[in-house]
Amino acid sequence: MTTLLQGARKLVTRGTGLGTRIEALEVAAQNARGRLDDALVDEAAAAADRAASRMRLSARHTVVGIAGATGSGKSSTYNALTGLELAAVGVRRPTTSWASACVWGHEGAEELLEWLGIPPRHQTTRDSMLDGRRDDRQLDGVVLLDLPDHDSTEVSHHLEVDRLVQLTDLLVWVLDPQKYADAAIHDRYLAPLRSHREVMVVVLNHIDTVPEDRREAMVADVRRLLVADGLPDVPVYALSARHGIGVEDLRGEIAGRVRDKAATRTRVQADLLSVADRMAEQSGEGQARSLSEQRVRELEDALADAAGVPTVVGAVERSTRVRGGRATGWPVVSWVARLRPDPLKRLHLDLGDAGRQLTGLARTSLPATTPVQRARVDTEVRALADEASAGLGRPWATSVRRASTSRLDDLGDRLDAAMAATDLQVDRLPWWTGVVRVLQWLLLATGVAGLAWLLVLAGLAFLGLPDVATPDVGGLPVPTVMLLGGVLLGIVLGLVGRFLVGATARSRARTADKRLRGAVGEVATELVVAPVSAELAAHAQVRESLAAIRRD
Amino acid sequence: MTQMVTALVRLRSALQAAELPLDLPGAGALRDSRSAMVDQLEDYVIPRLMTLDAPLLTVVGGSTGAGKSTLVNSLVGHRVTTPGVLRPTTRSPVLVHHPDDAAWFGQDRLLPDLARVTHSTNDPAALQLVATTAVPAGLAVLDAPDVDSVEERNRQLAAQLLAAADLWLFVTSAARYADQVPWGFLKQAAERSTAVAVVLDRTPEEAVATVSSHLARMLASRGLKDSPLFTVAEGPVDADGLLPPAHVAPVRAWLESLAGDTAARGAVVQQTLQGAIRDVARRSHPVADAVAEQALATETLRDDVDRAYDEAVDAVNRACADGTLLRGEVLARWQEFVGTGELLRSLESKVGWLRDRLVSVVKGKPQQADRVTVAVESGLETLILEHAEAAAERAEAAWRQNPAGRTLLERGERDLGRASRDLRRQAERTVREWQSDVLDMVRTEGADKRTTARFLAFGVNGLSVALMVVVFASTAGVTGTEIGIAGGSAVLGQKLLEAVFGDQAVRRLAERAKRALDQRLRALLEGERARFTDLLDEQGLVPGAAERLRDAARKVDDQRFAARQHGGVAAPPNAQERTT
Repeated sequence: MTTLLQGARKLVTRGTGLGTRIEALEVAAQNARGRLDDALVDEAAAAADRAASRMRLSARHTVVGIAGATGSGKSSTYNALTGLELAAVGVRRPTTSWASACVWGHEGAEELLEWLGIPPRHQTTRDSMLDGRRDDRQLDGVVLLDLPDHDSTEVSHHLEVDRLVQLTDLLVWVLDPQKYADAAIHDRYLAPLRSHREVMVVVLNHIDTVPEDRREAMVADVRRLLVADGLPDVPVYALSARHGIGVEDLRGEIAGRVRDKAATRTRVQADLLSVADRMAEQSGEGQARSLSEQRVRELEDALADAAGVPTVVGAVERSTRVRGGRATGWPVVSWVARLRPDPLKRLHLDLGDAGRQLTGLARTSLPATTPVQRARVDTEVRALADEASAGLGRPWATSVRRASTSRLDDLGDRLDAAMAATDLQVDRLPWWTGVVRVLQWLLLATGVAGLAWLLVLAGLAFLGLPDVATPDVGGLPVPTVMLLGGVLLGIVLGLVGRFLVGATARSRARTADKRLRGAVGEVATELVVAPVSAELAAHAQVRESLAAIRRD
Repeated sequence: MTQMVTALVRLRSALQAAELPLDLPGAGALRDSRSAMVDQLEDYVIPRLMTLDAPLLTVVGGSTGAGKSTLVNSLVGHRVTTPGVLRPTTRSPVLVHHPDDAAWFGQDRLLPDLARVTHSTNDPAALQLVATTAVPAGLAVLDAPDVDSVEERNRQLAAQLLAAADLWLFVTSAARYADQVPWGFLKQAAERSTAVAVVLDRTPEEAVATVSSHLARMLASRGLKDSPLFTVAEGPVDADGLLPPAHVAPVRAWLESLAGDTAARGAVVQQTLQGAIRDVARRSHPVADAVAEQALATETLRDDVDRAYDEAVDAVNRACADGTLLRGEVLARWQEFVGTGELLRSLESKVGWLRDRLVSVVKGKPQQADRVTVAVESGLETLILEHAEAAAERAEAAWRQNPAGRTLLERGERDLGRASRDLRRQAERTVREWQSDVLDMVRTEGADKRTTARFLAFGVNGLSVALMVVVFASTAGVTGTEIGIAGGSAVLGQKLLEAVFGDQAVRRLAERAKRALDQRLRALLEGERARFTDLLDEQGLVPGAAERLRDAARKVDDQRFAARQHGGVAAPPNAQERTT
C-alpha cells in the first residue's frame, strides 16, 4: 500500500513544475557546455543531477541539517531536539568529526540516508509507532543531521559541511553569543546562501550565558547582520540547549516546516534558481535574431566572387559561342574557329558526364582566390557573426564568432569541389544547331554542285563543244543560282546562327550563374550559416530553459 | 644600527615600488603580503629600531567575543575600554600606558596613520590613549579589535596592530581555541618568531584541565611551545565588568615582572624585532619573484600583440606586393584604362596626344584613370580592414588565454577583440594619402619634364596609376599564371613610365612609393596595436623593480648578519629563559 502511494507520489513529482525545471536546467547545461564558463556549467549540471536524485528519493522525509561553528552547541541542540544523548558534547574542540543522523519514521529513509552518505553506525531511528510522545509524532518524517563545524583547524570538517549543506532540505544555523559575528560563517555560508533564505532557520544558542536584559539586543544584532547578508526574513530563535530554553519553539518551527512537506521542494527550487540566475547573468538577457536573408546573400556573393563564379560564367558564355559558332557557322570559315581553345577546357571545368568522370574530383584550374577576395569573404563572415550575435552576452558572441570561422579552412577545397561538381550543361548543343549544320552542308553542297556545273559548262565552252541547254530560273541559269544561292544563304544562315548561338550562350551563362551560385550557397550554408545557426539555436534553448526555471 | 635603518628604509621604498598590477595566479595574496610588509616596516620595524628603549608594546589580540576588552580592563584594574555582548565590540584600538611613557606613543613614533584621541571612540582610524599608573612604566597594553568578525576593517586593523606589537597577548576562549582564523595568526607569529603569550579566557571551571592541555598540545605542535599559556577562569564580573583580580593575577604578575626587568624586556623586543626584519626580508623575495613574473607576463602579452599585428602588416604587404591585388577589379579597370586606348593611343605619336587632348577637353578629365584609383583604394581598404580585424581578434584571443590578459581585457571598457570603430575611415584616409603621395612623387619627378609630350599626354593621374600598378607587381613573389597577368600589366605600366622618366627614375619611384605605402600602413596599424599596448603601459610596472627589491632585501640580510657577528644586536635569547 505504501509503495503504491510512494509510486503515485513520484509520478506527481515528475509531472510538476519542479520536474520540468530540473529538466530545463539539464537542457540549459547541455546547451551551454563549451559556450558559457565551464565551472558554472559543471555546477548547473551537478545541481540538476542533485535535484533529480533528491526528487527521486523519499518525498516523505525532510532533511534538516544543524550547522554552525565549533563550540556553538550544534550537538547539544541536536540532543535537545532528539531528546536523547546521541551526540557527544564536549569542551574539547572540535568535538564532532562526522555527521550523524536521527530519523523519525524510518520507512523509506534508507536510500535517502545512503544518498546523504551517512553510514548506518551514525544513524539513529525514532519510530513514532513505538514511541508515543507527542513531539515525536510531531517530527515524523524528519531526518535530523548533526554536522561537523566549519571553522576549526580541521579542514576535513569544512569539506564535509560543504558537501552536506548542498544536500539538506532545511538548514538550521546555530550561532552563539561569542561567535555570531564571525566572518567565517557570514562570508562563507550565510551571505552566499541568500538564495536559500526560505529554507534557513537561525538559532542563537547559549542564550543563558547572556544577561537577560541584553538578550533582546543581541537577537536584534543577529538580525542586523542577517539583513546585511541579504537574509531579512530568516527566523531567529534564541535558545539554550543546555537549559531547554526555546527548544520547543525550534521544534515547532521544524515541525511546521516538515508538516507541509514543502521544504524539500523549496530547497531544490532555490538550488535551481540560484544557478539559473548566475547562468542568466553570464549568458545575457538579449534575444538572438535569426540571420537576415540580405546578410546571407552578401556572404554568398563574396564567396561566389572568391570561388571565381564570374570567371566561369564568362567562360561558359564564350565556350558556347565558340562551339555553337563552330556548329552553325559557314563551314568554309568555321574550321578556323577550331583553332581557338575552348575556355572551359582551359579552366578544367565541366564538359559533360564523360568529362566529369575524368576531371570531376580533380581540382579545377580556376585562378586562386586573391587576398582581396579572401578578405572580402572574411569580412562578410565577420559581419554575419556580428549580426547574429548582436545583443547577445559576451560568451555567446565569442561562440558565434568561433562557430562562424570554425570551418573556414575547408572553404577553398569545398568551393572548388562545388564548382567542379556543378553541371554547367554545355556539353550538348541545342537540337537546332544540328539542323543548321545539315542545312549549311546542304547549301555548301548545292553551291559546290552549282560551281561544278558551271565549271563543266565552262569546260565544254572552252573545248568548243556545243552548248548544253541549262535550265533557268527567273532568267538566271540554275547552276549560277545554285552557286550564289548556296554561298549567300550559307553566309546568311551562319549569321542567323551566330545570333541564335549568342542568345543561347547568354541564357546558358545565366543558368550556369544560377547553378554555380546555388552550389556556392550550399557551401556557405554548410560551412558558415549552419554552425552559426546551431549556436543561435543553443542560445535560444539556454535562454528558454533559464526563463522556464526563473519563471514564477 | 643606522645602516640597518637605511637598509630597511630602502627596502620599504623598493617594496612600495614593487607593484603587482596584473592578476596572475597568486598575485592577490602577494599584493596583501606586500602592503602588510610596507605597513609593518612603517608602523613598527623602522620606528622601533630607532627607539630601542621605548616601552614594550603588548597587543591584546584575538577573536571577537573571546574577552579581550574584559581582560584589558581587569588587568588595568578599571574600565578603560568598553566590553559588550554585541559583536564586534571593540572597533577602535585603545592603548593603555604609564603616564611617564606618554612621549613614546606620539603619532610620529608608532602607527603613524592612526589619529591620537584621548576619549572613547568608535572610529577605526583613531587610537585612544589612556595614561594610567595601573600599568607599570616600560610597558603598554593595546586592546586591538578582533581578527575574525564580519567587520573587514576590524580584521585589517587587528592584523596591522599585531604586526606592530613587541609582544602578543593572544586571547582565546573555550569555544574559540580551535578556530582556524586565529590559528592562522599564531602560525604567522611562529614563523616570524614574534613573542607570544596565550591567554585562555572564558573557560568554565570544569573544562579548564581538558581545554588547556589540548590547547598546549596544539601550541606545541604548531611551533609555539615556548609561549607561556595563562588560564583565566570564567567568573562573575563586577559592576564595571571587571573579573576578580585573582583571576588575572598570573597574567598581571608576568607582565609586571617583564616590565621591571630591562634585560628581559629588551630580549623580547629584540626577538620580535629581529624576527620581523628576518621575516620581511624573507617575504620580500616571493614578491620580487612575482614582480619579475609580472614583467615577464607583460612582455608575453606585448609579444602576443606584436605577433598579431606584425602578421597583419606582413599579410597586407605580401598581398600588395605579389601582384594579386592587381587581379580582379583593379586589373579590369587597368585593362579598361589601357584598352580604351587612353594609354596606348597616346603612346603612338603626337597626333595621338593632340587627339587625346581634344577628347579630354570634350569629355572632361580622363575617367578611366580615376576608376583604377578607386579600384586600388577599395582593394587596399578591404585588405587593411580585414587584417586589422583578424589581428585584433588574434591578439584578444591570445590575451584571453592568459589570466592577466583576461582581467586587463575585462577592466578596459572597450571591446578590443574588434578593430577600432573608425578604422574604416582611417584606412580610407591612409590609402588616399598614399595615393596623393604617389601623385606628388610623379608630379615632382615630372617637374622638369612637364613640357614633354608624353608627360602631358597621360597627365599626372595616368602616370600615378601606372606607378601604383608597378608598385603592386614590382616585388618578387609573382609566380605561375600571375606573371602572365600581373607581370603583363606591370610591364606595360613600367614601359610607359620608363618612356616618360627613364628606367633609373622609375625604379627609384617604385621603391619610394612602396616604402611610403609600408610606412602609412604601419602607422595605421600602430594605432590599432597601441590600444593593447597602452593597457599594458597603464599598469605602471617599473622596470628593474624586482632587482631593486631583491637587492634591498639582500642588504637587510647582510646587515643582520653583520650585526650578529659584531654582537651589536644581540641574538634573540630563548623565550624559555625569559619566561621562567
